Amino acid sequence: MDYAQLASELGSACGPSGYEDAAREKIAEYLSPYADEIKTDAMGNIIAMRRCGKQGARCLMLCAHMDEVGFVVTGHERGYLRFACLGGVDARMLPACEMRVLTPEPLYGVVDVMPVHALTKDEQGKPLPADKLFIDVGLSQEQAEQLVPPGTPVVYGGGVQRLGAEMLCGKAMDDRSCAAIIIKLMEALKGAELDMDLCCLISTQEELGTRGAVTGAYSVSPDWAIVLDVTHAETPDAPKHRTFKSGGGAAIGVGPNFNKRLTDAIIGTAKECGLEYQLEVISGNSGTDAWPIQVSRSGVAAALVSLPLKYMHSPVETLKISDAENIIELLTKFILRAGEVL
Amino acid sequence: MLDTLKTLCYLSGVSGAEDEVRDYILERVMPHADELFSDAMGNLIVFKKGAKTPERRLMLCAHMDEVGLIVTGYTDDGYLRFDCVGGIDRRVLIGKRVYAGADRLDGVIGIKAYHLVDRDEEERVPKVDELYIDIGCTDRQQAERTVCLGERCVFYDSIVEFGDGFLKAKAIDDRVGCAAMVKLIESELPCDAYFAFTTQEEVGTRGAKTAAYGVRPDVTLVLEGTTATDVPDIGEGKRICSAGDGVVIPFMDGGTLYDRQLYAVLTRIADENGIKHQTKRRIAGGTDAAAVQRSRAGVRTAAIACAVRNIHSPASVGKISEFEDLLRLARLFMEELARGDSD
Repeated sequence: MDYAQLASELGSACGPSGYEDAAREKIAEYLSPYADEIKTDAMGNIIAMRRCGKQGARCLMLCAHMDEVGFVVTGHERGYLRFACLGGVDARMLPACEMRVLTPEPLYGVVDVMPVHALTKDEQGKPLPADKLFIDVGLSQEQAEQLVPPGTPVVYGGGVQRLGAEMLCGKAMDDRSCAAIIIKLMEALKGAELDMDLCCLISTQEELGTRGAVTGAYSVSPDWAIVLDVTHAETPDAPKHRTFKSGGGAAIGVGPNFNKRLTDAIIGTAKECGLEYQLEVISGNSGTDAWPIQVSRSGVAAALVSLPLKYMHSPVETLKISDAENIIELLTKFILRAGEVL
Repeated sequence: MLDTLKTLCYLSGVSGAEDEVRDYILERVMPHADELFSDAMGNLIVFKKGAKTPERRLMLCAHMDEVGLIVTGYTDDGYLRFDCVGGIDRRVLIGKRVYAGADRLDGVIGIKAYHLVDRDEEERVPKVDELYIDIGCTDRQQAERTVCLGERCVFYDSIVEFGDGFLKAKAIDDRVGCAAMVKLIESELPCDAYFAFTTQEEVGTRGAKTAAYGVRPDVTLVLEGTTATDVPDIGEGKRICSAGDGVVIPFMDGGTLYDRQLYAVLTRIADENGIKHQTKRRIAGGTDAAAVQRSRAGVRTAAIACAVRNIHSPASVGKISEFEDLLRLARLFMEELARGDSD
């Protein structure tokens, strides 16, 4: 299975923060052939260990999060579902949005729109906050109460598709695209002799404040950690200085959240191998799992490698496939020589 | 009826570019029509003989076009600029999939990540000329080669039956009317009738104006999709009609005061035949009736409609049983006219 197929399959699985089960199952299925041990902890993290077999070997952890932004049902009105957001969602994209309601037998729904004539001049063109929107599942109040209890998770409808020849577009590319990178990376390293143990932490609840990574990093207790996440790609409406080029390769994080030696070693590999990369300077909290991992136990040397992604947290998150392939190549080469450079 | 509707909803027919819809309907009705022609506006007009020839010439009318987008330009980095064709609340556009151009290329209307949105920006919905369609091109030249200026874009077409007998699709307005007319033409009719499949309703009932002139009807029944107002938060005073509360028989809307006798006939025959119906409780919207009613020396005009949630959006929703009821009521109306007692 090539990268695009794998990322599409992982992205189509459902796993909003705290309700990651279906996504976890899919990821574990693809990751387990490359792990000596694989387990799930109390927070739902996947921890997959590949030992190098050497006495006293140190441990490099690769981390991506499995959860996606989503929603949770909070109540019912006239058969419609009230909901809250799980993670940062721009409610301006919700009207007329397709939803998948994750009841045992998932239900189809759409976010209904107040028709224009029902709005005052003042309200027209004003966004409706999420608490004024409702999911229409085509049920009566009684049916809805019975079938969709409060606490039922919801994700964007639709899966993942190509956009043109080179882009991949769909929900949950943040951060399944990076979970897929880790799986392809482990596949590429299969059978290779390594100087260190490799551990994959596929974390939960990142979108609610990097919660899974807190316990995941504690139990893995790695020496180094490379976090793979998405960053903002250039779009016509986004500020140029806060976005990165789709097609420009890995965005490598620089700043207090990241260990300089580890980061420089990754950059060095990129340079030596002639792989395109870009630097993402982050002055404080990176907002990624790298933030809690860095201060886990007595500290972990952390680095961040990001994939540029357009329209983050929308149903149409879009990435360039060549950027993901670039990251797979970069980190494969880095890990093969990590024993020498670290 | 449902299969025909689904097929019709899938087709692209943004106002002024209704070709796909017209071609499909033509293929369906050709074997059953006694006469058919297309006029300069692109309307498709079908005449079919029935069991009786009523004294007054009857026309049924539904529009083929749907709201959508039209490509107006390109950005240097290969995105499409667009404008809306027909009345679209721009809030339904953001983050949606579309099919761009005649080749139905996949595209999306993106918006920058929430992380990059400041508080002021969050308080307003971007204007249409700030939005753009991403078709995966990386520069202007590539985009120009891929989609031409003036090409139309339609909403992504997932067609889903869900909940307690509901259908979600784009363009239920007014493929539901088209589907009902196709089914009528394919059946034995109680009386002769002209069927006008019109163009450009969404930009001001343009097609119906010439269709009515050409057909010269005495009586017209317009079949439509109309705005349902089911969302919980809407004030009671602002509710128009509800999907699930029956076929809509309007006495008045923003464009037309419907013929009072025909309105009475429609409600009576709906009652007599156990067809659940409602009327519009608020005066809003408009239909081809506005153009037909004032054609030549005037036409006695009535309408029936299905209540459609999220009308003019990618996710319009209607009650499936009401699509069937629309068809039933239209046929009953023709029977009534054939009996000649609808005065």
